[in-house]
Parts: sequence; structure tokens; C-alpha cells
Amino acid sequence: MDQVLVSLALNFFSADQINAFMSDPRSVATLVGALVAISGALLGTFLFLRQMSLTTDAISHTILLGIVVMFLVMTAGFGLEPDMSSPLLILGAAAAGLLTVMLTETIQRTGLVKADAALGLAFPLLFAISIILVSRYADNVHLDVDSVTVGEIGIAWANTRSVCLEGCESVIITPDSPQAEVARVCANCVAENISPRSPSAVFVENCSNCGTYTAAQAYANGLSETTPTLVFLPKAALTMGIITLINLLFVGLLYKELKLATFDAALARALGLRPGLLHYALMALVSVTAVGAFDAVGAILVVAFFIVPPATAYLLTQRLSRMLLLGALFGALGAYTGYDLARGNLLGLVDMNRVLGWLDGVVGLGGYTTWNVSISASMVMMMFVFLLLAWVFAPRQGLIAGMIRRRSQAVRFTDQIVLRHVANHQGHADESIELAVNTLHEHFRWSASRLGWTLRRLRALNLVHIEDGLVRLTERGTNAVMSLD
Amino acid sequence: MAILRGRFNSERAAWGAGLGAVLAFILILTVAGASGVTFDHTLRTVTMGGALLGLVTGVLGSFAVLRRQSLLGDALSHAALPGVVIAFIVQGRALSALLIGAAIASLTAMAFISALTRTTKIKQDAAQGITLAAWFAFGLILLSYVQGRPDAGQAGLDKFIFGQAAALVQSDVLLIVGVGALVCLIVALFWKEFKLLTFDPEFAAANGFPVRFLDSLLSSLIVAAIVLGLQLAGVILMVGLLIAPAVAARQWTQSLGVMVLLSGAFGAFAGSTGAVLSGVDVNMPTGPLMIVAACAVVLVSVLFAPGRGIVWTVMSRRRERQAVGRPSLGGVQPVMVKRSADDGQ
Repeated sequence: MDQVLVSLALNFFSADQINAFMSDPRSVATLVGALVAISGALLGTFLFLRQMSLTTDAISHTILLGIVVMFLVMTAGFGLEPDMSSPLLILGAAAAGLLTVMLTETIQRTGLVKADAALGLAFPLLFAISIILVSRYADNVHLDVDSVTVGEIGIAWANTRSVCLEGCESVIITPDSPQAEVARVCANCVAENISPRSPSAVFVENCSNCGTYTAAQAYANGLSETTPTLVFLPKAALTMGIITLINLLFVGLLYKELKLATFDAALARALGLRPGLLHYALMALVSVTAVGAFDAVGAILVVAFFIVPPATAYLLTQRLSRMLLLGALFGALGAYTGYDLARGNLLGLVDMNRVLGWLDGVVGLGGYTTWNVSISASMVMMMFVFLLLAWVFAPRQGLIAGMIRRRSQAVRFTDQIVLRHVANHQGHADESIELAVNTLHEHFRWSASRLGWTLRRLRALNLVHIEDGLVRLTERGTNAVMSLD
Repeated sequence: MAILRGRFNSERAAWGAGLGAVLAFILILTVAGASGVTFDHTLRTVTMGGALLGLVTGVLGSFAVLRRQSLLGDALSHAALPGVVIAFIVQGRALSALLIGAAIASLTAMAFISALTRTTKIKQDAAQGITLAAWFAFGLILLSYVQGRPDAGQAGLDKFIFGQAAALVQSDVLLIVGVGALVCLIVALFWKEFKLLTFDPEFAAANGFPVRFLDSLLSSLIVAAIVLGLQLAGVILMVGLLIAPAVAARQWTQSLGVMVLLSGAFGAFAGSTGAVLSGVDVNMPTGPLMIVAACAVVLVSVLFAPGRGIVWTVMSRRRERQAVGRPSLGGVQPVMVKRSADDGQ
């Protein structure tokens, strides 16, 4: 799988470029964050639309149980060396995620407990059990507060796997090889306590560097002429890359089915699409993605990568395809700008170190004004900032757009009331009372200035004109009133 | 069915459940005592605190569960983190400051959830998830800033994430007593209003009750309970302590008053049992044990509660079948229709 990914990447970049990119903490953290965000947004969009956003929260908590149980089984059951990146752990964690979903649905199906309470029962229980197991049996496990809450995206670049591309043949050095370093050593000197010079000493030829070397080892030890072409990939990036590919394939291939099952499950069932099966497939992928993201961003923040970017996209569009694209985009953007924020640079606008310096003067921070904070939390914070921006500025659903819309509705309504009033009384006997400019506002119980504004607007639009102190409709105004009916 | 349902007295069942919880607690005390648990000062304090906390969360959880806002507690408890850290930065380790900070942060989160759901089409669940994540992330950012500081005073601040019951002292218990009494007093004063808000908010609004104020008041009480529990159970598990007793109590009764009382009793049982069990071994964490105890009560209730429980339903269905004698038709008796000659003419 990693070979496939690497050969895919090599179509666009050279091995040196990839290695330079992958050894930079910043680019790796951004890449991993963006991959988590993209795969989160792809699945999270559907969860959001199905109103199941908090299921992610539950799953991301309970995968801890899967990890702990598999860990205990591996160490206590089989005496294996504890390895946090073993595929068995990932499988166990994903299974725990699915178990949460099934447990919740079983509780719900009894009809005794509502959906939200079922979720609120299932995941604290499973989480509590995993905490008990950790503190009782696995105190030495690396499952401290940080790995649960923050993750280790900042050091993801340091944990790599090498993929060899060219000159990968392993080198075998035998005593006959030209590179072999052969030395004569005394075979019986130590055992018989004699000097190597003594005539009874027996010598053997001993090859100090014989054996099998991988291409990289051979090159490092100067045993092979060919330079192997190696690509070093951070494990987190590799795992998340594969998961993102799977999610892309899932959403891409089953787009139509997912869409139908999300918006009209009954129709999907009637058409024979098995929405139930699709639901469990989605949940399984959510579990796998959450497990993959667990190491990088921590269990609790995973939920943000699933919910916040799709919610931002939802404020900006009404189309599913655009929502998926925008969600992935905002997620990746949040990861990119989030790394900067962790280092003190808020969108290139604010230097957080200065903010701390200012705060130190106001409330007193003990003079410690260095802003160097959690990377994954900063990424989430930036996604939230984008959500806030979308909330305020979204062209249709935003707060400002809503304010403008309400304002213009109020204006239109005011205009219509005045026009209608004029049309009703114009040409009647009471028009000198009802339509007098100076007293018109009393008939609506408005302030004089409100009516003044309205009249000024209507006159500017050439809908009314004033004759002998009376308000009258123009021809345009008469047409406007007619069109209201 | 109606006859079968009528055979038990809902109130008597609830009394039985409450009594059962007390007996179970006594049993657990005896077993724990026999297996060598020493009830020293710390354990007594924690047990007391756990019981009182469970009582308060149980009472408030009833409303949260019935209003289908179970997960609001989850969001609000996570959202407390930035408040705790800011209070620490400004005021230091004073517990009262930390709790006030937590309460303020949770209240702002509550306001944000309500603003987001009112002004956009984003639904309650997503709004809760967004707020939970954003507030918690902000808390983590602040926490990582504090942890980077050279002074070692911040050690233990992250205990709020998982809770640390052993750190509970007598003044904390007194605080729980005080706030808990206040919460119960407010619930008693606004009993009628909360009842109406829970079961028919539209009717309440139509009758001129200040629904939004009552809603905020009830949520603020939940915030108070959460903040009290942070030290004991931690932000992640608080929601379980809020929901589980209420879900269990719901199975035994149809009356809100009985449910609230029973839920408080179950909560107290779970809180104290968790504390006693944690005395068995040094490595047993109190908060998670409370959750497990509460979920055990839920399991028993869901299975055995008369009228609603799974065992009861299965048994009464079987009895019905036997009474009707035709299981294949699901109790429906075929009716023979006799046609006379002049029908249809």
C-alpha cells in the first residue's frame, strides 16, 4: 500500500523533494492535520446531515477501550511486545467504535431510552471501563492525559518509515566478497590461557562484517556502490493518507447512494439500496478514521475535525457536493493556519506573543509571554474561527445578510402601508384629513421622522408626489399599488 | 394489557427501587468492609461528596433526559475547561475561583449553543458538538501555555479532565452541600414551571411563562451540578453521572415528582458506591467507578422495572398469549360472520 502511494507521489515530485518536505515538522503537521480534516469532513458531512454529529464524539471516546483491551490481550495474553502502532490495535479500536454504535442502537431499540440518552449512557460507560482498565492493569501504558486529549501531531515527522525505490537489493557479504573485512584471530588463546605468539596457538579467519544488509544499511556502511533511493514517510501521514484514500473512494463511489440514504432513507430502502448496510459502513469508516486520527490529534478533538468544517460549509451552501468540497477545504485551511497559530501567528494579522505581553501588563502572567501551544487544539481553534466568520458573513444565512434582509423587508412593508393608505383615500372626501403631509404620521401612529424618511424614499422612487400639502400617488405609484393585489 | 399494567402500583414500585438501592449500598458496604477496606477520613469524605453530588446530578438529570437534552451536559462539562485554566492564570489555585471560572465558561458555551441554533439552520446536536470542541480546544491551548510556564504550580490542573476524587477535602463537601441545597430549593420553587417547560414548552410560552428565562435557569442549574462534579468525575465522565440515574428512575414511574426523587436516590447510590469501591484498591479511579455503578442501576432498571422493564414486557406478552391461546395470530380472535339470505338485497 505504501509503495503504491509513493509511486503515485513520485509522478509529481522527486524523491529528494518528498524527503525534504517530510522532514519538515511544519509541513508534516500541516499535512497530517489536513488529511484528518479532509477525511473527517467527507464523513462528517453525512453525519451532520443525519443529525448524528455527536456519534463521532462517542466513537472517539470509546476507541480508547478498544486500544486498551487489545493492548492487554497482546501483552498479557500473548506476551507480545507492546506496540502502539500495531494493526491489531487499530482493528480493536475500530471494533470498539462500531460496538458503541451498536450498543447505542440496541439501547434505543428497547424503546425505553431515547436516542440522545442512549448515546449519553453508552460512551461514558465504555470510557469509564477503559479508564479503570488502564489504571488497574496498564499503568505503564503510554495513555496519559496528553495522548487522550491533545495528540502528538507536532512530532509526527519524527516517526517515519522508509520506502525503498531503486537499488533496493539487499547485500550479502560472504568471506569471499571484496568488501569483507577478514581478520585472523586466535581461536584457543583465551580458553587455554596462552599467548597468541605461542606455537600451539590456532588461528582462524574471522569475517567481522559478514551477513545480510538491507540496501540502506549497506550504503550507510560503505559496503555497496549503488545509492538506494529511499523515501521517508511519517507513519501518521501514511496511515492518514491511506484512510483518506479509502474515504474518498467510499464517498466517490457511493455518492448517489449516500445522498439518497441521507435525505430519504425510506425511498432508498424502497429502491433496494440497503441504507442500513450503508449506515454501518459509514460508522465503520468513522471509527477507522477516528482511530487513525487518535495519535495525531487526540480523542476529544477528533470530533471537531468531523463537525466544524461541514457546519461551516453548511452555512455557505445548500448543495451536498459543494458542502463536501467546502468542508474539506475549510478543514485543510484550518490545519494550515492552525500550525501558525500554535507558533503565535494568527492569520498573519496578530502576533500572539504580543497579546500575551499586553495581557501580562493587564492581569499579570508572571512575565511568561511565550506563545507555544498545542498544535492540534490550534487547528481546531482556526476551524472554529472560520465557522464564526461564515456565521457572520455568509451571503445568505449569515448574521449580516439576515440583518440586511430583515431591514429591507421592514422598509418594503413600510412603503406598502403608506402607498396603500394613499390609494385608499385619494379622491375621497376625507383626503384633506387623511393625506395631509403634516399630520399623515398620526394615522399610522408613527413618529414624524419615520414617515418623513418613508415619504422622502417614495418621492425619490417617483411613487408619490406632494400637491397642495397632500400626498398623492404618481402614475408609477398607482401601478405599484395595482401590482400589490 | 391495561389490566396487566394496572396490577402494579407505580409509586410502590418506585419505593421498592429506592429501598433496593439502599439495601444494595449496605450490602456493598459490608462486602467492602469484609474485604479489608478501611473507612478512613479521606474515603469517608469522598463517599459523602460522591453521594451528595450524585443526588444533585440525579435530580437535574431527570429534566435533561426528559427534555432530550442529555448531551447538553456533555458539551457544557467539556466547555468548562478554558474557564478553569483562565481562573488559574488570573487567580492561582484557589478552588472557588476555578469553579467560578468553570461556571462562566460553561454559561458562555450555553449561550453560544442557543444563539447558533436560533440564528442558523444548524441543529442542536451539531451546535453542541461545535461548542464542545471549540471551547475544549481553547482550554487545551491555554493549558499548554500554562504547562509551558517555568513555575511548577500548574501541576494537577489537568486533573480536571479526568477528575481526582482523592483530592476532595471537607470544605469541598460543604461546598457541594451548599450549592446542592440551593439547586434543590430552586427546583422546588420553580417546580410547576419546570414541569410545564419539560412536557409542553409551547403551552408554557402561550400561557405567558418566560420560557427562555426558565430554559436558561434550568441549564444554569445543570452547569452548577457539572462544575461541582468536575473535581470528582472530570469533564469527560460528568455526563454519565447526569444521565444514568435519570434514565434508571424513568423506568420505575410515570410521575415526574417520583422520578426526580428516585433519580436523586440512584445518583446518591452510584456516587457513594463508586467511592466505596475505589477504596478496594489504590489503583481504582473513583469517577469511572461511579459511572459503572450508575450504569449497573440502569441495567437492573431496564431489565426488571415493573410495567416497562424488558423482563416484565416479555412475561406479560407470554401471559397474554396463553390467555388468548392462539399465539400465531398475535392475540387477534378470528370472528365468524354469518350471512343471512336477505343481506345485500
